[in-house]
Amino acid sequence: MSANSIIETKKATIQFNGLTAVDNVDFRMQAGEAVGIIGPNGAGKTTFFNLLTGLYLPTEGNILFAGRDITRVPPYKRVTLGIIRTFQLVSVFDSLPVIDNLALSTIRFGENYGSKWKFFFTDVHGEKIMKNCLDQLDVMGISDKADLMTSELSYGDKRKLEIAVALSLNPKILLLDEPFAGLSDQEITEVSVIINKVKATLSLVIIEHKISRIVDIVKRLCVMHEGRLIADGPPEQVLSDATVREVYWGKEEGLTCSV
Amino acid sequence: MERADTRLIKRSIWQYLDVPIIAVAFLIILPLLGINRTTDFIIFCIFVLGFNILYGFMGRLSFGHMLYLGTGAYTMTIFSEHISQNPLLAILASIVAGALIGVILGPIIVRTTGACFALINLAFCQVGFFLVLVAFSRQTGGEDGMSANFSKLSFLNFGNKAVVFGFVLFCLLLTYYFLKKFTSSPFGVLIKSIKENETRVKFLGYNTFTYKWVTFIISTTISAFSGALSILNYGYVTPSFIDPTRAVEVIFAALIGGSGSLYGSIIGGVVYMTISNYLASYIPRWEMFLGFALLVVVFRLRTGVWGFIVGMFNKRQKVLEG
Ligand SMILES: Nc1ncnc2c1ncn2[C@@H]1O[C@H](COP(=O)(O)OP(=O)(O)OP(=O)(O)O)[C@@H](O)[C@H]1O
Ligand SMILES: [Mg+2]
Repeated sequence: MSANSIIETKKATIQFNGLTAVDNVDFRMQAGEAVGIIGPNGAGKTTFFNLLTGLYLPTEGNILFAGRDITRVPPYKRVTLGIIRTFQLVSVFDSLPVIDNLALSTIRFGENYGSKWKFFFTDVHGEKIMKNCLDQLDVMGISDKADLMTSELSYGDKRKLEIAVALSLNPKILLLDEPFAGLSDQEITEVSVIINKVKATLSLVIIEHKISRIVDIVKRLCVMHEGRLIADGPPEQVLSDATVREVYWGKEEGLTCSV
Repeated sequence: MERADTRLIKRSIWQYLDVPIIAVAFLIILPLLGINRTTDFIIFCIFVLGFNILYGFMGRLSFGHMLYLGTGAYTMTIFSEHISQNPLLAILASIVAGALIGVILGPIIVRTTGACFALINLAFCQVGFFLVLVAFSRQTGGEDGMSANFSKLSFLNFGNKAVVFGFVLFCLLLTYYFLKKFTSSPFGVLIKSIKENETRVKFLGYNTFTYKWVTFIISTTISAFSGALSILNYGYVTPSFIDPTRAVEVIFAALIGGSGSLYGSIIGGVVYMTISNYLASYIPRWEMFLGFALLVVVFRLRTGVWGFIVGMFNKRQKVLEG
């Protein structure tokens, strides 16, 4: 069964001193699928990502990537497998110039990494490395800001930078944790155009509160509530589900406007 | 859309003329301080560079760096006593010893961060101090220390203070150049990234443990190198070379100069040494003034003396441009 699934969890559970943040989640997706995860605050969505990416080890259950058990594989190795994520609170290196943020990710799977010598002694601001980095910034449309300090960027540009970094790591599966939070309407549109563009080449999971913003990106929606997966299916079906409506009742304006 | 011209990033004239500037600066100080003191200053600057690669660049503050300096100093002396009096071989042996102690202690030490990192270094330093002072006092001369004698090389006569000065200055420039290559490579970006957010670096696909270990080894090696050079200069080793309480010196120097830059390390080294050498001969309790200097740095010049100079320079340029 799991032969052609890209990622799969079996009874994934994690507890934090008594609190079950992710509770018995069975989840699987095919390569090339785009899945949205919604759910109220504290539902366990981010924690679920943390399990998939190896930041936390599950208390119980297993995680499989392309049929292989990766439950105990450390985060950096999962990255080499192609499991790439962004963070709910945008996470880039404020103390570095924008362009340097991309140096490590573009090199990681490039020629300079294989040769240790080059990794330690080539000039990171040399033409070749910089060209690759600028190309990646171009994808997100922020290459004009390459030589600013990252701390000078707006939140939206930082998000774009973070996604550029993620894409430069050649993701097989890309996990975006609330990529639109804190962005202006226009920035949301710009980012979702890009996500829609790259979607064809990878598997995608998006956590998002603004349901109306992801229904045109994903064909499948999962709902988490109190650590459990309470609904899973095509967006229209999930959003009309009675339990889902009850969980969200009066809490989420996005739900009504997108059905 | 216009691409930014990244060739301009961090490409100021300082980046190209740095090695000659440092050399000339020390040649200028030479007549002011005299040859012994200048040599001393330079050796200390090498130590600050070694310390700062770990603290300023990777964000790991060690309270026990005297251990690595002492490893170099004692290896230098003991090597000359028992194996060979060739000073270059002895320096090489000290460098190897410094690398070895980094290789051995690294896996334990680099797992930790923050206060734990600082204190575990200190703990190892205490152990080293005890070993030298008590356990192996017959080999090390214990409290009295022991003298180190080196043979004269035909092409490098270290009996001549001018030769020592030239050699030590060359060592500083070499260390500086090596670290400059290092910190402007992808590896340099990696350790600066670890300083800011190690977890994030793991999610870029890097096993941060390995790189922290490598950085630690570089730091211990350079520290041992400077320890060996001190012995070349003094010809005598005492337990003060491995005294844990002296760790503050290098920490102060790094703070004064500005923690995240190589220039800063050298300036910090010179400023610290100036304060401790000269204030001490005029004022009996000079440490108080060092304390004041530090307060100024902490509250007024957060980026250190070098960071302050760069800031001033940038501000002026902005005024000129706009
Ligand atoms: N490291 C941790 N230690 C203790 N509790 C945690 C930890 N991480 C998450 N939790 C708890 O687990 C629950 C789920 O948190 P999680 O961040 O996964 O929710 P979420 O669905 O992402 O919510 P939001 O929409 O607000 O981002 C919360 O109650 C949270 O307090
Ligand atoms: Mg969350």
